[in-house]
Amino acid sequence: MPDVSSRPHREDVSIRQRIAENPGPALGWLAGALLLFALEAGAVVHFVTGLFGSPVELPTLLSRELIPNNGYQTPSGAWQETFLGLPAAYAWALRVVLVYAYSFVWMYWLWRGYLVFRENYRYADWTPRDDMIDRLRGHRWGQFGAIIVFAFVVMALFAPALGPTTVERTISNPYSHSIEYYNDQGQLENITVGSANLDSRSQGTPQQNVGPMQYDQFGRFHPFGTLPSGKDMFTFMASGARISLFIGLSAIIVSGLIAAAFALLTAYYKGLVDLGVVIVGDSIMSLPRLLFVILLTVVLSGTWIAEIYSGAVILALIFAGTGWPFLWRSVRGPAMQVSEQEWIDAAKSFGQKPRVTMRKHMAPYILGYLLVYASMSLGGIVIAVAGLSFLGLGINPPTPEWGRAVDIGQSYVTTASWHISFIPGVMIVLVVTAFNALGDGIRDAIDPQSETGEGEGNEAAAATGGGA
Amino acid sequence: MSRWQYFAKRLLLSIPVLLFGTSITFLVIRAGPLDPVSAILGPQGDPQAYNTIRRQLGLNQPLWQQYIDYMVNMFTFNLGQSWVLQPDTSVYSLVLGYAPRTIWLGFWSVLIAIFIGIPLGFYAGLNPNTFSDYFASFGGIVWRAMPNFWLAVILMSVLSQSEKFFFGFDWQTFLYSTNVTGPPPLPDPIWKLFTNPDQFVRALKKIAPAALVLGSASMGNEMRIGRTAVLETINSNFIETAKAKGVPPRSLVWKHIFRNALIPLVPIITGEAFILIGGSVLVETVFDISGIGFLFFQAVKNGDMPLTGSLMFIFIVLVVLINIVQDLLYTIIDPRVGYEGGA
Amino acid sequence: MAQRETTASRSEQAPLLQVENLQTAFFTDKETIRAVDGISFDIRRGETVGIVGESGSGKSVTARSIMGLVDSPGRVLDGSSIKFDGEELTEKSEKEYRSLRGSDIAMVFQDPLTSLNPVYTVGNQIKEALRLHRDMRGAEATEEAIDLLEAVGIPDASRRVTEYPHEFSGGMRQRAVIAMALACDPELLICDEPTTALDVTIQAQILELLDDLQEERNLAIMFITHDMGVIAEVSDRVNVMYAGEIVESAPVVELFENPRHPYSQGLLNSIPGNQPDTDRLSTIEGDVPTPNEPATYCRFEPRCPKAFDECSKVHPESLAVNDDAADHTAACLLYPEDVSQAEAVELHERRGSQREVSER
Repeated sequence: MPDVSSRPHREDVSIRQRIAENPGPALGWLAGALLLFALEAGAVVHFVTGLFGSPVELPTLLSRELIPNNGYQTPSGAWQETFLGLPAAYAWALRVVLVYAYSFVWMYWLWRGYLVFRENYRYADWTPRDDMIDRLRGHRWGQFGAIIVFAFVVMALFAPALGPTTVERTISNPYSHSIEYYNDQGQLENITVGSANLDSRSQGTPQQNVGPMQYDQFGRFHPFGTLPSGKDMFTFMASGARISLFIGLSAIIVSGLIAAAFALLTAYYKGLVDLGVVIVGDSIMSLPRLLFVILLTVVLSGTWIAEIYSGAVILALIFAGTGWPFLWRSVRGPAMQVSEQEWIDAAKSFGQKPRVTMRKHMAPYILGYLLVYASMSLGGIVIAVAGLSFLGLGINPPTPEWGRAVDIGQSYVTTASWHISFIPGVMIVLVVTAFNALGDGIRDAIDPQSETGEGEGNEAAAATGGGA
Repeated sequence: MSRWQYFAKRLLLSIPVLLFGTSITFLVIRAGPLDPVSAILGPQGDPQAYNTIRRQLGLNQPLWQQYIDYMVNMFTFNLGQSWVLQPDTSVYSLVLGYAPRTIWLGFWSVLIAIFIGIPLGFYAGLNPNTFSDYFASFGGIVWRAMPNFWLAVILMSVLSQSEKFFFGFDWQTFLYSTNVTGPPPLPDPIWKLFTNPDQFVRALKKIAPAALVLGSASMGNEMRIGRTAVLETINSNFIETAKAKGVPPRSLVWKHIFRNALIPLVPIITGEAFILIGGSVLVETVFDISGIGFLFFQAVKNGDMPLTGSLMFIFIVLVVLINIVQDLLYTIIDPRVGYEGGA
Repeated sequence: MAQRETTASRSEQAPLLQVENLQTAFFTDKETIRAVDGISFDIRRGETVGIVGESGSGKSVTARSIMGLVDSPGRVLDGSSIKFDGEELTEKSEKEYRSLRGSDIAMVFQDPLTSLNPVYTVGNQIKEALRLHRDMRGAEATEEAIDLLEAVGIPDASRRVTEYPHEFSGGMRQRAVIAMALACDPELLICDEPTTALDVTIQAQILELLDDLQEERNLAIMFITHDMGVIAEVSDRVNVMYAGEIVESAPVVELFENPRHPYSQGLLNSIPGNQPDTDRLSTIEGDVPTPNEPATYCRFEPRCPKAFDECSKVHPESLAVNDDAADHTAACLLYPEDVSQAEAVELHERRGSQREVSER
């Protein structure tokens, strides 16, 4: 048997020392990460310098400048000013593929980094988390959800680079930008984007419609068609993804924190604390969620917070404030179970501070469940926000939001311009299903034998967006 | 503790919930930045009229006094009147006019969800991992993710031109001639519905698309949870005991499996019921059903705070009532309730 | 339980249950599990036969095979014979089997709390059995249910019959389950670890109850357990199972005094208190294997302290341990012990090929 006493105790060796002892794998991984980062470093520099003054332009992989698609077609059929002279559609598709490829490579590289850490630098040979991750790897449904969610996040993050044009050009200030095109007489003409939009409107008749995957008469490519105002719908949707994701994530994070804090407090102290939170939580849950959100949205619409980010911040806060009781109810069960465990008694018995006990001994166990229900609730919030925009509340126009597209396209559903209402709905269904699938996957990973119970009811309620 | 003690405890808990919820409503409405008087008068307010109305609404009193007045009024069901939407109409008459349509809608939504969702779920649970199971489960999942306002928009448009999509079948003239949108023709007095089958079918047909949309999300849920419930029940030990007793399959399914599988479904069904209270707003807007959700939306949009406050109170009462019904059902159906931890 | 049958009287009556070459296998995507791989035993009226073995030995699957409760992906293979009262059960249709279950053969399961349907009263569940097999309804059935509860020693039976399973204590629940099993006066009662989930004192009461019932009704009992102590108390005969096969079969006293198969010896040695002078508890090293292929060798060989070369090549059959003991068999190449080892191995080989021929 090896002499354990002479070897330095592994925990005493900090992670820095461990890497120093075996730098090979870490350096390899770091090199790859730096390479990936360098490709997009230009964007980061641009963003940071933009905060302080005039932004610095550096060549970046995924920028519109590298692979432009805003060109025009000459009468002879050749394309000018697009990437390599490709038709605008292909140039755009190439850029989209590049964006997604880059993101997936990043995701894969991060996964590799985790594996490198696990094999070479982690103290333990095996942790329960390894089992969970293994279960996730075989869970097709959960993986499907994860991939779609990831695609959605990429769409939100890279929105300016993904669309055939930018929000600035087509939606916010169309009359400040112009494009070139060859008109019917075969002459090169200059026209403002705004006027071009007027001629590219989708108004229901086949003559006055630009459907999905079509070029308009100015040589612009519209993957999702145009809106009744003539603006490009894909740009609208990509940008709308940003807002939906922002509101969803912020609301979930805030309500998750509140719910977790309350769950830990009520599970630890029980008694009156529990009763108090139950009353407050149940009262908030007794207000019909969508209606209350509508009320709050209108009531708070004049305040200064409502102006930030076109109303997204206040919406996020509203959803967080009305949503935490559902999350809390869902994790209350697991929290109560953890508080019954003997190691909690043990911690109390040697005088451990409550705050530390809750953080160290209880929180890790409810984290998994919190993730599950948070994921499911995210889908519900996306639907609810879209519902609010549909009604005309919520996000102030002209900032894009998916629900508003459904609203705008209402009267055209059975016409040639069916895409205006249809596509946002399909995307909502896809994204929400993906979030639910992800939640399912996480749940099966952390607790393969979880039972139907109160949690199911709440997550079901949360996942439907409170009725939207 | 016995089942009925548990129920009594839940009943008792609903009182502070009711009080607290109403108080939150008050805070949002009165203490919020919205000014109800400007909403009533419009932008050009004559200062004198402004003050008069302020006094009439009781807004010149200190906040705590307003709070007490509000609470007392609400709990004695003195619901006041609308000031902006339909001035000088009592809330009561407004509710009586708008509510029945929502109730009709909600009733059929719940029914559709229960009678399609649950049987589908049970069927999928009894035949797991077959093609029909995957099909039904997947359908349920996707259905659950569908925003109901989108579905409403599509359904409404499709039905308006149903000849195009359904091979000449014209929804609007089917059975009775109705428009796709518009409130359902509920007779007055309401019980005529049940004595006159003609009117019943007419009202049913009018509300059917909206009810289908509103019930669809619940349907997906109930299907999924019903399936899980059946699967878990089938694998329980007492089913094996029953089989060992020689219980025939039909009795096994209907007597043993279903009763136990229904238990986890109770909170789902009642949960759907109060989602309907909120969710009907969107469907009512699309289908132009002048229901009470729509009324609330209009009230809020137009700043009719007295109406809003009273309506919200009614909703809270409804939700609390439904919760009590849910607890009652639980107590009746599951004899174990309260024994090993209820709340 | 006292040993009631002598060797002579046993061989006179026809057995109530005759199991011959029972094979039950589970066919999953990954593998085939031969949970029960060719076992044969008898149970006579009024006798208690114990089946003992570790988890995974195939005891519960045996019980379920007899009851016809083996669900896909498992099934009882062709060539198996289960004769109950002269009738061949493997040929019965599901409907015929159902009329048998509960009325001729009844089963008691391990965990009484989850064995009873929680949403119906105990009385309701007993009456269900009565209605199914004895066509009793209404007040008559309620009367009978009360009588049954009293017969199993539940006090205040007329009130209890309207109560729910969760209102009973653990021991009483198991009594109620037994009452339900006996409602239709079965001839064979299969008990699958009925006392494992109960306290020791309650366990003793239940065993006593079973004893009394057996005497009153001339009940045959098949008692499955992993607890050697319970087996000693309860059985007349014992079958020791390992990895889907019966490795030893003997009257209970004989087995405990003179176990032959190394596995049985190991089991008995590992009971704490059996070897008071040693420092460490003796154990059998290793785990029970999951049988995937048909056995052409001795499955216990990897763990056997007495294994020799032939053990991994020849499949041991159940043979009498010596000339005098016709009712004590062991499936081990060491036996019959009154002949040389080479001869014994040959006997096993011959018997094995005889069996294969008759199977085809």
